[in-house]
Amino acid sequence: MIALDQVSKSYRTAHGRHSVLDNVTCEFPLGKSVGILGLNGAGKSTLLRLIGGVEPPDCGTIRRDASVSWPLGLSGAFPGTLTGRENARFVSRLYGAAPGQVEAFAEDFAELGRYYDEPVRTYSSGMRARLGFAVSIAVDFDFYLVDEATSVGDWRFTAKCFRMFRERRAESSFILVSHNEETVRRTCDLGAVLSNGRLTMYEDMNAAIAAYRHGLH
Amino acid sequence: MKAVANSIPRRGERTGSWLRVAGAGATQVRVVHAIMLREIKTRFGRQRMGYLWAVLEPTAFVAIFALMFAYGNQTAPSGMPVVPFLITGFAPFLLFRSTMTQTMGAIETNRILLTFPQITPTDLVLARALLEMATLTAVFFLLLAVAHMLGFGVRIENPLEMLFALGCLAMTGLGLGAFFAALTPFVRSMPQIVAMVAGRPLFFLSGLFFTAEMLPRAFREVLLLNPLLHMIEWLRSAFFVEFQSQHASVEFALGAALAICCLGLLTLRGLRKRILAAV
Repeated sequence: MIALDQVSKSYRTAHGRHSVLDNVTCEFPLGKSVGILGLNGAGKSTLLRLIGGVEPPDCGTIRRDASVSWPLGLSGAFPGTLTGRENARFVSRLYGAAPGQVEAFAEDFAELGRYYDEPVRTYSSGMRARLGFAVSIAVDFDFYLVDEATSVGDWRFTAKCFRMFRERRAESSFILVSHNEETVRRTCDLGAVLSNGRLTMYEDMNAAIAAYRHGLH
Repeated sequence: MKAVANSIPRRGERTGSWLRVAGAGATQVRVVHAIMLREIKTRFGRQRMGYLWAVLEPTAFVAIFALMFAYGNQTAPSGMPVVPFLITGFAPFLLFRSTMTQTMGAIETNRILLTFPQITPTDLVLARALLEMATLTAVFFLLLAVAHMLGFGVRIENPLEMLFALGCLAMTGLGLGAFFAALTPFVRSMPQIVAMVAGRPLFFLSGLFFTAEMLPRAFREVLLLNPLLHMIEWLRSAFFVEFQSQHASVEFALGAALAICCLGLLTLRGLRKRILAAV
């Protein structure tokens, strides 16, 4: 389970402080995949970064009783100098997983072909996302944090990721942030809406989408 | 719950017991090790020029200055053998300078790695600094070994004390590097500024090819404000039986190294949140 307790986060901007999360309390249960809907700029990526521990919150606490991936997105998390294979080994060392296994699984799953042994800087953004997904699935987390990446780009690979997620849903879950209702409806168990610093969870996906649409108008 | 990644402490969260502190320490060692392996590939892997240059640069300086000394019929001060005298100037200085410049770029080039929650800016900086220190220390001893084999009379009087002085140069490089690395995200032109202010002048002001004793008195007093000069004088005092610096202060060298190192690492820690926000 991941539990946010009275979490706030704001950033300094040219027009004063901009509050992204305002006193948010919520829980992400293990085994349920949650789709968080929000407009561009609503703070979806920031929320994911807080859940993943990339940045600490300004105040409040985030408790994790499970292993959580780094935020997976189109931009990837790898500097361009090393190859896909070298990065797979790097991540396995980072998480104390077996480098050989991670390397082999990611090679097979990412379908990068000979690019697996080319520097990441030669990759397209879709290829970068694929590498990130493949490596994180190889390391095997309880929670995967997904930043829209699957809703953009290569559809065949997207479908494969979702299939993998569904197969694993019993043991792993994911938290997906997106502005696309369809993606969320098709892939998640629970829906949530992030707007004006508030995060509201809905048991019923249709209720979440209705609330999201309501916010649009 | 799966076994992998359970013990990973997240940023900005308190650890409760000593056990968890120990766990965090083990994680940091693992993280720094993983980053160092990356850095080795990046710095030295692709084109093997990295290693070659690390050896060639000090060798070239020593060779050029040795020729100049020989041509001008100059001897090294206090009867120190010329080649070891030059090696003990250039190699330790380059250890300091490379550690500083490489460490300085650690966050800028690897910024995106901060996406991994267990990697902190300090880890990026430490990994680079350690790799650079290890490389340049190896280069230093390689030069000494080659000089010894060529019959230039290498004999280290007090190796342990010499290593302390070398450690001070390394710590100063780490401290300044960490300090500038912390500021680079906010001051874009930092690398150029540092190269201009710290790189060139210090090369001529740190006693690489002279000793403090050789300087005019007024000039010497100004130059002795530079802790690097103290460190190199101290290093040579420990190295050569012929030489005992009348001007270097061990206390000043140690104090400056410690203070600069702390300043750099604390600045990095203090700006941590803002560095992470900029990933």
